[in-house]
Amino acid sequence: MSNSFSADASPILHAAHLSKRVESGERSLTILSDLDLSVFPGESVAILGQSGAGKSTLLGLLAGLDAPSGGELRLFGASLAALDEDGRARLRAGRVGFVFQNFQLLPTLTALENVLLPLELTGDGEAPARAREWLERVGLGERLDHLPKQLSGGEQQRVALARAFVTGAELVFADEPTGNLDPATGERIIDTLFALNREAGTTLVLVTHDQALARRCDRCLHLVAGRLTESDPAEVGA
Amino acid sequence: MSGRIPGAMGLAWRGLRRDLRAGDVRALFLALVLAVAAATMIGFFLDRLERGLTRQAGQLLGGDLVLEQSRPFDATLRATLEEAGLVLSDQVDMVSMVSRGEAFQPASLKAVDDVYPHYGVSRVDRGEGVEAVASGPGRGRVWVAPRLALLLDLAPGDRLRVGRASFAVDGIIEREADPSAGFGSFNPRLMMHVDDLPATGLVQPGSRIEYEILAAGPAEAVAGLEPLLERLRREGVEVHDVRRDRPRLGSALARADRYLSLAGLAAVLLAGVAVAMATRRYVERHLDTAALLRCFGAGQQTLVRLFALQLLWLALAASVLGALLGLAGQAALLALLTTVMPVELPPPGLIPLWLGVLTALAVLGGFAGPTLLRLRRVSALKVLRRELDPLPPSAWLVVGVAAAVFGALLWLYSGDPGLSLALLVGGGLALAALWGLGGALLALLLRLCARLPQRGGEGAWQALRLGGRQLARRRSTSLSQLLAFAVAFFAMAMIALVRGDLLNAWQAQLPEDTPNHFAINIQPGERAAFEAALAGASEARSALYPMVRGRITAIDGRPPREAVPEEARGDNALRRELNLTWRETLPEGNRLVAGEWFAARPPAAQRGWFSAVEADGRTPLVPISLEDGLAERLGLALGDTLTFSIGSDSIVGEVTSLRDLDWDSFRPNFYVIFPPGVLERFGHSYITAFHLDGSDRQTLRRLVRDFPAVTLLDVEAILARVREVLTQVTRAVELVLGFVLLAGISVLYAALTASLPVRAHEAGLLRVFGASNRLLSRVQGAEFALLGLASGLLAALLAELAVAGLYWSWLDLPPRVHWGLWAWLPLGGALTVGVIGHLLSRGLRRQAPAASLGLLGET
Repeated sequence: MSNSFSADASPILHAAHLSKRVESGERSLTILSDLDLSVFPGESVAILGQSGAGKSTLLGLLAGLDAPSGGELRLFGASLAALDEDGRARLRAGRVGFVFQNFQLLPTLTALENVLLPLELTGDGEAPARAREWLERVGLGERLDHLPKQLSGGEQQRVALARAFVTGAELVFADEPTGNLDPATGERIIDTLFALNREAGTTLVLVTHDQALARRCDRCLHLVAGRLTESDPAEVGA
Repeated sequence: MSGRIPGAMGLAWRGLRRDLRAGDVRALFLALVLAVAAATMIGFFLDRLERGLTRQAGQLLGGDLVLEQSRPFDATLRATLEEAGLVLSDQVDMVSMVSRGEAFQPASLKAVDDVYPHYGVSRVDRGEGVEAVASGPGRGRVWVAPRLALLLDLAPGDRLRVGRASFAVDGIIEREADPSAGFGSFNPRLMMHVDDLPATGLVQPGSRIEYEILAAGPAEAVAGLEPLLERLRREGVEVHDVRRDRPRLGSALARADRYLSLAGLAAVLLAGVAVAMATRRYVERHLDTAALLRCFGAGQQTLVRLFALQLLWLALAASVLGALLGLAGQAALLALLTTVMPVELPPPGLIPLWLGVLTALAVLGGFAGPTLLRLRRVSALKVLRRELDPLPPSAWLVVGVAAAVFGALLWLYSGDPGLSLALLVGGGLALAALWGLGGALLALLLRLCARLPQRGGEGAWQALRLGGRQLARRRSTSLSQLLAFAVAFFAMAMIALVRGDLLNAWQAQLPEDTPNHFAINIQPGERAAFEAALAGASEARSALYPMVRGRITAIDGRPPREAVPEEARGDNALRRELNLTWRETLPEGNRLVAGEWFAARPPAAQRGWFSAVEADGRTPLVPISLEDGLAERLGLALGDTLTFSIGSDSIVGEVTSLRDLDWDSFRPNFYVIFPPGVLERFGHSYITAFHLDGSDRQTLRRLVRDFPAVTLLDVEAILARVREVLTQVTRAVELVLGFVLLAGISVLYAALTASLPVRAHEAGLLRVFGASNRLLSRVQGAEFALLGLASGLLAALLAELAVAGLYWSWLDLPPRVHWGLWAWLPLGGALTVGVIGHLLSRGLRRQAPAASLGLLGET
């Protein structure tokens, strides 16, 4: 898949000279430095890197969950530097979806209620019907009232997928979505993720060390020593 | 997204409903329900009791305002009272001979009109069993007391003569609607219609007659008459006003009332501790929810609003359920206390209900507030990095806010800011001391555990060592659990101890052989013979006390009404003649609280008092001993002088000692006791009290036959009633104790539920390392038992100190050490926490290690 998203469309996510340092006592540790990235609407982008490379830190910054130490970051055209944490949260509401490695389902909520959670925050009148519809799409129409502990890992991640897409998000971040699953289940989850992505026309940014997963994305970026380098997805792991 | 969320109320409600699946929310709910139930139950009960007592006062008096004088009242006064909105009833009282055939008997006559009674009903046997009657006897008929019926051998339908008229006996009075005058006269009661009085010819100039107007009406009407009443008092009219003459609660009920308030507060405090424990877990569990919501775009305000609304719903639901339980509880209390209760009580008011809701909100805000605020500080990044939990609030902030709120509740309930502040400061100091002591105790226990013999296998020693080490590893959690358990055990033990000591005190107050008969009017010549007659018949009897009637005519040389505090001017002791006695030794059941008893003076001086009168005509000072309650009411102290008029003489006494005595003891009791050698020369008779078995009617008949001039009063019925009161109060106290125990268990439940995830993780790890189910079970059991043991020890110390303080300051019981407490509280604590903890964590042991280890990550 080539990089068919032309630069004349404005990026949905744009980072320039982004850096992140953490202070630990008297020592300062640089995790990301002078990092540039543009993600365009409808793209799927994989960020690959070894454990400890700072993938999750980068994802946190890109989603506005954390503030960078330097550089500029624009999400949906708005500069995140100008916003406080509440402002960044408001920017995300209803427009950004998340899929996590450890699913992050609330244990006391049923599958349906977990999917309902982001919808309820936006006050969607059709919330229950939409949540049900998305759970049916991920093949869990019969498991609406099951609690997370009554579902397998793969099923839990499918609930998380339904939750990420249910608000009609424009941008979905996925953090090692197959990290906690066996290869076969992981494969099925990836199929579902890309199918949903295609149907909804969502932009996808995923962080992974799973090269098979990365190969299915439009673009593939490697995080090495705090910087990103791009490679052809077809050549990843080859 | 702004702080406002669409349909926030609904969202919070749905969130709460889903949350009810979690143990901590159930614990929170249970604790709040208990707090509200305890507060409303006791609130409802005391509120109704309070209002009922005012009504009872009206019934005892016979009206809201009673005027009494020795001549008929004029029409102008009656018109004024009626214009003020009062309904009037006339009553005439006198003592007269009544007869049947050849038998004569003095009786206390009470003539009533058609309005009688204003309040309540009389219980009268008119030949068909005792029935409630809301009127007096009809014209031409009389009702008589059982004693008069016995003395004149009367039954309903018989006739008797009162003065010149003859009447049909219509009923035997079991209880008068307005019984306060019943004991004032020793003569048995006869009730008749006031219209029949002229026919008897008893109303003659010079007859000793009391005319009364009993007025009933709204309190404002009586209050508006105050200037008139003041003038009437100056003119010598006796004025009884329901607002001033409200009877005090009997000592048993007064103590029970305090006990109930205390227990209610203990239950609220316990519920607060449970709320605090449950909230910690609630917040920890919701940190992930909060982080997720932040991810989905919720701002800080939104989070605060969402969780606050969710808990508000919880508090409201708990208030409704708690208030219903409180209503049921107060109904149960009332059902248990039927005999003690004054007439029927007014229906429950709304104030206690609001108080209950307020309690729930205050307990939630005070005990949970600071902990809850932690949720708003959650970072969205936590979804990616689990370790990013916001710091818990400082323990001092949590305790400080909780203490301030509890102090405010104390103030609200007790209406006494001084007491509330003192309790709060004391409680704060105790908690600080407890914190240090708890830490030291925990350290000591753990050191002991570490020294246990180190053997392999899965024996009890191994379990204790491992259990101790687990506690040590979570020192701060263990310490807070230790304190929560200690406070719970302390409150439970305190309420149980006070209950036990109250009951013992009550039982000691009225032993089996409490005198049930009084004999009065024993003449000096009969004294020896009467004593001899009693000696063979009754084991339990009081001494024979001489009795001389005297009136207080001056205090420190001034007219009594001017010398005493304003509120004591109408005191009965100043209006009537007092029974004075003399005695060489302090009477049984009396306790000297100030000054010294007469025996400390040289006998010569004792003999000299009266010779001094005769020698120089001046009245010398005689030492007297005063009951301390009377001294307090009249503002008298050691060294004050009282002038008594006895017959045509005057005696001036100087207060040289004050005595504390128990008026409910069923023994002869005296306000004033003289030393021997002073009153003997005045006309006197003797009084005594003795116990006769209920079956021993023969002795009674013999006494009546051999000593016809002696009046025998049977107080068995009153005694039985007092005993019944105590039994019922005891049951009520036990009901409330049950409530406190329940609140204590809610603390255990909340604390143990809160610690389950961490324990699950530890159990999972131990499992992975190869621990068997048996070892896990033992280690957890040992850990809980150690916690229980330590908290029991701390609780014993705290309870002992607090109970001593309470007895000394509030409940009027002598403090004592409860040795048993030091054994059963630590052992009971170890057993209770051990068993409940073991049962609650049973599910953890059944879980596969992967699930247990995962549980911590996902919750």
